[in-house]
Amino acid sequence: MMNDAITSIEREQLISAASNEIIIEMETVNKWYSDFHVLKDINLVVRKGERIVICGPSGSGKSTLIRCLNHLEEHQEGNIIVDGITLDKNLKHIDHIRTEVGMVFQNFNLFPHLSILDNLTLGPILTRKMPKLEAQAEAMKYLERVKIPEQADKFPGQLSGGQQQRVAIARSLCMKPKIMLFDEPTSALDPEMIKEVLDVMIELADTGMTMIVVTHEMAFAETVADRVIFMDQGEIIEENEPKKFFNDPQHERTKLFLSQIL
Amino acid sequence: MAIIKTKSTPPREAPLSERSLIGWMHKHLFSSVFNSILTIFTVCVLYITLKGLWAWGIVDAVWIADSRRQCFEISSGGACWAGVFDWLENIFYGRYPRDELWRINLGGLLLLLWIAPLWLPRVKAKVFIALSTMFLYPFLAGYLFAGGGKGVFMQMMISLSILCLLGNTLHAAIGMIKGISLSEFLTRLFSKKNWHRKTEHCLLLGLFLICFCVVYFWQMSWQIEAVAWTQWGGLFLTLVVSGIGIASALPGGILLALGRRSKLPLIRILSISFIELFRSVPLITVLFMATTMFPLFMPEGFALNKLAQVIIAVCLFNACYMAETVRAGLQTIPKGQYEGAHSIGLGYWQTMGAVIMPQALKNMIPNIVGSYIGLLKDTTLVSIIGLFDVLGMLRSVSKDVVWLGMHKEPLVFGAILFFLICFAMSKYSRHIEQKLLTGHKNVTANKRKK
Repeated sequence: MMNDAITSIEREQLISAASNEIIIEMETVNKWYSDFHVLKDINLVVRKGERIVICGPSGSGKSTLIRCLNHLEEHQEGNIIVDGITLDKNLKHIDHIRTEVGMVFQNFNLFPHLSILDNLTLGPILTRKMPKLEAQAEAMKYLERVKIPEQADKFPGQLSGGQQQRVAIARSLCMKPKIMLFDEPTSALDPEMIKEVLDVMIELADTGMTMIVVTHEMAFAETVADRVIFMDQGEIIEENEPKKFFNDPQHERTKLFLSQIL
Repeated sequence: MAIIKTKSTPPREAPLSERSLIGWMHKHLFSSVFNSILTIFTVCVLYITLKGLWAWGIVDAVWIADSRRQCFEISSGGACWAGVFDWLENIFYGRYPRDELWRINLGGLLLLLWIAPLWLPRVKAKVFIALSTMFLYPFLAGYLFAGGGKGVFMQMMISLSILCLLGNTLHAAIGMIKGISLSEFLTRLFSKKNWHRKTEHCLLLGLFLICFCVVYFWQMSWQIEAVAWTQWGGLFLTLVVSGIGIASALPGGILLALGRRSKLPLIRILSISFIELFRSVPLITVLFMATTMFPLFMPEGFALNKLAQVIIAVCLFNACYMAETVRAGLQTIPKGQYEGAHSIGLGYWQTMGAVIMPQALKNMIPNIVGSYIGLLKDTTLVSIIGLFDVLGMLRSVSKDVVWLGMHKEPLVFGAILFFLICFAMSKYSRHIEQKLLTGHKNVTANKRKK
């Protein structure tokens, strides 16, 4: 399934940046899509600076879980506390949390009618009320960080998939988020572009950003993650340090999954 | 065995079939027996139909004459364009007093002046210019056309729009020369370096107030003669009705479409019933309702003239059609765009205004312009309820004693007039589409498609 020759990352495991401060707390979260029980009693605590990789078979609820964290999906039971704010129906809370939580999607979701630079400055100008020039200077810094400053005046349709995903990461970073969520960021990419995106993500991890990543890139998980979470059928089945998780999986379903994917 | 190309192939000239007229004709008109027959058949049909028209409209036509009788004497089988020319002023301006025609012309000229900066490069704040055209220009133009006494509110709005027009023009000129906005230019001109932003805003506000007062006191000194709406007519009236309809259809349609997709049941149900009610009734019925039933809904003593009622009816009717067009556009936008916008913290209106609507409307340009063209043609229905719009004027030519019974020529002229306006609109919409398309698709791929 995964082509190791292309996606393997020859790096030592990054030093953990996790602190003791809790930034995300999920307490017995349950969610249904009409009758279908997608998330079952999810309990999860994330500390500031922690990097978590969530994996599992498709339809296991991992995307739904992280989409609950910035309220793109609504949960029906339980509490989600992000950065000290409980997620409820209060729109102000939701808008505030969304400015603090960046998200990168499988399909990039860049705005095709805006240039790359405008894609990046839209959020800071509209939500942070930043003057245009300042926002543009900031945006260029982040474009340099993802190594495509020369594409600033192009439109998303003119960029390759890997470049678009890096722009999407830069767009989220422009909001100076405290937490970054990645929803299968490399699944829609051609193999030769996966590495450039993962490299950017590793560099981001190196800066101490709190990250929750849904991915099938196990090599990435091994290098970056503080914890790997395995989900199946809406439940968290196993949770462990990457080394123990990959070398000594406990649950039968985890073993089956790993044997299929590695 | 390895194959290695050592020499590159130099480009050769294209074969004759790609370059010459005969080659082109062979390829496009006579490529097969069936196509050749089709071509010849089409040419024959065109010849038969156009021959008569050509003879009637051009060869045998009378261009200069004093009456229809004289036309017949000169050429009995041809068109009598002299009558149309004689009535040209009536067709364009209706029964508007002839001494006051300059007001209509000036109104049109001011509109051009107002929106011209939208097409100039380097001019900033185009959204503001467009909005001011929509919300301020109608007051100025309305007073120019109607005239009469000015209430305090009208005086304020007129001064504001005059000021806005001056500001826009100045802004455009400065933008063209220096590439900065008017406010920036003024702050640079007057303020000192160490001034705080708030002081700069105060300065701009002060300048604005001073200019406003000057304009206000100046406009108090003049007044133009009142022209009753019953004297409005011709192409002028058609353009007023359809212009207001066009300007208000899109904003109204956007609001109704958003209302229809709203999560709040009350707003949704109201929007849906409003849209469906107006869409399931013919425009002519809406017009009759507006002129006969509208007064019943209004409080005692509140009277609007027939023209205003008609305009309101046209606006509501077209807003409902536009709402469905906008809704179709909204449905072309993938869910990911909403999520992308939400994920960077944009609220509902910001998401709609900055991300969703620009894309939805761009996708719907052909349909929107289609409705506009339909709107323009539909406004001729107002002639049925007794307004003398362009169609009404064209039909009254035949009632003129001098040109008695002349039906054909004015209507043909009207057809040409409408064709020119509508064709220009659809051409312009194609142009905008192309311009916006090259903006964010791969430019080379796009050219290849053409």
